[in-house]
Amino acid sequence: MNLYEHTIVARQDVSPSEIKQITEKYSNIVTKNNGEIVQTQNWGLINLAYMIKKNKKGNYIHFKIKGPTSIISDLEKNESLDKNLLRYMTVKVKKFDLDTNYFSKKEDEEKTNAKKKDEN
Amino acid sequence: MQKKRNNNKKKSQSNFAKLSIFQNNRYKFKKKCPFSIKGAPIIDYKNIKLLKKYVSENGKILPSRITNVSQKKQRELSLSIKRARNLGLI
Repeated sequence: MNLYEHTIVARQDVSPSEIKQITEKYSNIVTKNNGEIVQTQNWGLINLAYMIKKNKKGNYIHFKIKGPTSIISDLEKNESLDKNLLRYMTVKVKKFDLDTNYFSKKEDEEKTNAKKKDEN
Repeated sequence: MQKKRNNNKKKSQSNFAKLSIFQNNRYKFKKKCPFSIKGAPIIDYKNIKLLKKYVSENGKILPSRITNVSQKKQRELSLSIKRARNLGLI
């Protein structure tokens, strides 16, 4: 079992309901492959440092995944075909730090805290 | 009078010894690596605020001889900066 951090950049004109669909779609792929999503973070609309496919902004979604390597190949296969996405990146990590969220607004932080309480 | 002169000579010699190459140089001004101190921040591709300190205005990575980052940490830094670039964060 490995630990991965997976980030997706979606196009700027994707509606919030579609973002939910996207997150569900990829989290389903993870669970199908015997993986487990430890945490999902929605960083929201962030200004891109440079234009990517004529987009000035991007919707960032961040997953923390625990599971076998087959997840990543399956995820990236689907993401390369997805037209709503601009970029994706996976990073293998030794340890998750679940506390810090560098992009969180205050509302998001409260939500994540509430989720943690529910899990406990 | 002679005695005093001798004392002066000795003092001057001792000062010279301090400046020799083989002695440990106390007068060097060298900053420590900002990531090797206790309580230093963890280098992460998500921490843009931190990474932007080590990037020039044009987006180039600053050399470690300017920022005094140790070699090991500079490698980590450059990797995480490149990751952030790929995601369009920097």
